[in-house]
Amino acid sequence: MKKFIAILLVILLATAFLVACNDEPVVEDPPTVEEPEVIDEPEVIDEPEVIDEPTEVEEPNDDVDVSYVAVISKGFQHQFWQAVYAGARAAGETYGVAVSFDGPPSEADIGPQLEMLRSALARNPDAIAFAALDTEAALAELADAYNRGIPVIGFDSGIPDAPAGQVLATAATDNIAAGAVGADNMFPEIQDAIAAATEDAPVTIAILSQDATSESVTGRTQGFAERMYQLAGGVNDSVAIVGGLGRINTGDTDAAVIIDVTVGATPEIADMTSAALGVLNTPNLLGVFCSNEGAVMGLLATIGAGTNVPDGVILVGFDAGSAQKEAVETGLMFGSVTQDPFQIGYQAVSLAVRAARGEAVHDVDTGAQWWNSSNMHNPDIAILLYD
Amino acid sequence: MNIRIRRFRLESFFALGALTILCIIFSIFARGFNQWATALNIFASSYAIGFLAIGVTFVIITGGIDLSIGTVMMSSALIGGFLYQNGEGLPLWICLIIIVLIGTAFGTLNGLMVTKLELPPFIATLGTMMVAAGLGSIITSVQSQRFPAPIGDSWFTRTFFRIDNFPVGAIWLFSFLIIALIVLNKTKLGRYTFAIGSNEEAVRLSGVKASNWKCIAYVISGFCAGFGAIFHAAAVTTIVPNTGQGTELQAIAAVVIGGTSLKGGSGSLTGTIIGVFFMSVLRIGLQGMGINAASQVFFTGIVVIGAVLFDIQRTKRANQVRKVKPVVQKEK
Repeated sequence: MKKFIAILLVILLATAFLVACNDEPVVEDPPTVEEPEVIDEPEVIDEPEVIDEPTEVEEPNDDVDVSYVAVISKGFQHQFWQAVYAGARAAGETYGVAVSFDGPPSEADIGPQLEMLRSALARNPDAIAFAALDTEAALAELADAYNRGIPVIGFDSGIPDAPAGQVLATAATDNIAAGAVGADNMFPEIQDAIAAATEDAPVTIAILSQDATSESVTGRTQGFAERMYQLAGGVNDSVAIVGGLGRINTGDTDAAVIIDVTVGATPEIADMTSAALGVLNTPNLLGVFCSNEGAVMGLLATIGAGTNVPDGVILVGFDAGSAQKEAVETGLMFGSVTQDPFQIGYQAVSLAVRAARGEAVHDVDTGAQWWNSSNMHNPDIAILLYD
Repeated sequence: MNIRIRRFRLESFFALGALTILCIIFSIFARGFNQWATALNIFASSYAIGFLAIGVTFVIITGGIDLSIGTVMMSSALIGGFLYQNGEGLPLWICLIIIVLIGTAFGTLNGLMVTKLELPPFIATLGTMMVAAGLGSIITSVQSQRFPAPIGDSWFTRTFFRIDNFPVGAIWLFSFLIIALIVLNKTKLGRYTFAIGSNEEAVRLSGVKASNWKCIAYVISGFCAGFGAIFHAAAVTTIVPNTGQGTELQAIAAVVIGGTSLKGGSGSLTGTIIGVFFMSVLRIGLQGMGINAASQVFFTGIVVIGAVLFDIQRTKRANQVRKVKPVVQKEK
């Protein structure tokens, strides 16, 4: 009996493995949901950096057979990562390379992520795309990849503070550009009011920011403020940026059009709520831009507690989340900006393939998408909006 | 007694056989499995779990359970890391000793709650699990703590993790295993551990202070968690607060796969360590086949269920033999 069970178990295990990979190992199924958006020449937004490439891939060579790219993300279950995965698979299809995609159960799982990175290195991939949970923990593995001539590409938050030359390029959202998308979409709605404003009858466009240190949040805040400053400057001579993000302030609090940056006292939801209350009570308010989901939550909590949104005020958010999606759907919010995880995955693999071929690669902006009640259910937008 | 010992060897043999078969399957189907790098990876992810599993084997043999080891390990590592970074130049080796002491202290707390306050082990250690996670977060103000990174000439890495491509941690783990084997199989402590698991009342009635020996099992478990924390820190570098939940279940799963009965009274450390490697090999092998994290968890679950099934069958059969043998010769 005992022997029988043991044998049965082993056979069961073995068949499970065989069934699970009767295809060629590691090759992923073609994406079924969305058509890959083919981008041959990614927009290069930063000035080209001089990059020390590993010696093995010095000369560009189209004959180099790139067959396998390993992608290690910061997660897997979250819808954001599923969209990254879909993008990575689509790029794998486009370039005809096998793509493996692995990520730890949560963003605290540094150990499991390291294990996945080591396991990916053991598979001897042509390139690795990596979003590090903790750069320092992965230093040995990064050095190993570098010494073996396996190009490493960062994506999403990338591999911050990696030793020079060990990360060839990063595919990530340009937060300044993403903030500007919000301004571009809000501006047409409030253009007339801006044009009509005078120093005696000023108007305010508010930005609600959850903190003044996080690079992504301040980048979006700055991007929105500066683009709005530029757009408003086109229709009104007197525009100023004031408020909590000192480095972008233009002074001149008596201007006709004031772009006012409000930063919460702390990132806590309670402080965001009181900051939002202050913003909504600003006289002659035209619009509010919330630079991340936390700021949106603060704003929605304030409105939910009974504060009225003055008529005609345009509320624009960032990211997604079920509360924000509902607010956009019901028309409470005008629309929102989201990162494009599909492109993050697509560009990460694309950069990895090109780096493995020995081409020079540069950081890529994976872009941001505008979404509102009319397009949020389109399949290509819906996949970007997590709950 | 003789029969029982022989049966244990047989089970260890089964577990080892299963591990070998698993390795063979992966070396055929998993990309890049037959490499020293893979072995290093398997070792690296087995150290911490290995120490935890060795410790908790003692507790499980007494018929108890220790759910706190995962968070106790993380908590000790966090506090040690905090002292290392904010301790006004406190040398690392003192921090490491403190780490082991913190683990041992939590183990002692568990032991006293189970024996002196007579709390059920499940509840007592569940409480400690939360207390440890909370304490680590409170002391560090929920900040990650860093140990020296595994590059360059850090003695910490070279002592506890690896020297170039040599897994130093494995030497520690196997030395530790040998000591634990001696303690469990050759000393009074080991004999009482088994005896308490089989029949605690009989041990008490025979004039042995059963509760004291039982308490020691929990202290050992905590000590091992503290020891595991050092190796976790060496392998992972950055310790994140409020983690470690779930690690204890992996260690317990390894113990079960290794053939130790959760009912207590029987078990083997060799089996436990094979169980630990079984789980690491399974995880890393599946990664090599490009199977994602969710499926890795799925397969590990199946193996655990299979192992428990095996355990139940074995116990049933053992009982059958005892009852039936004197009356009829044929089984069943």
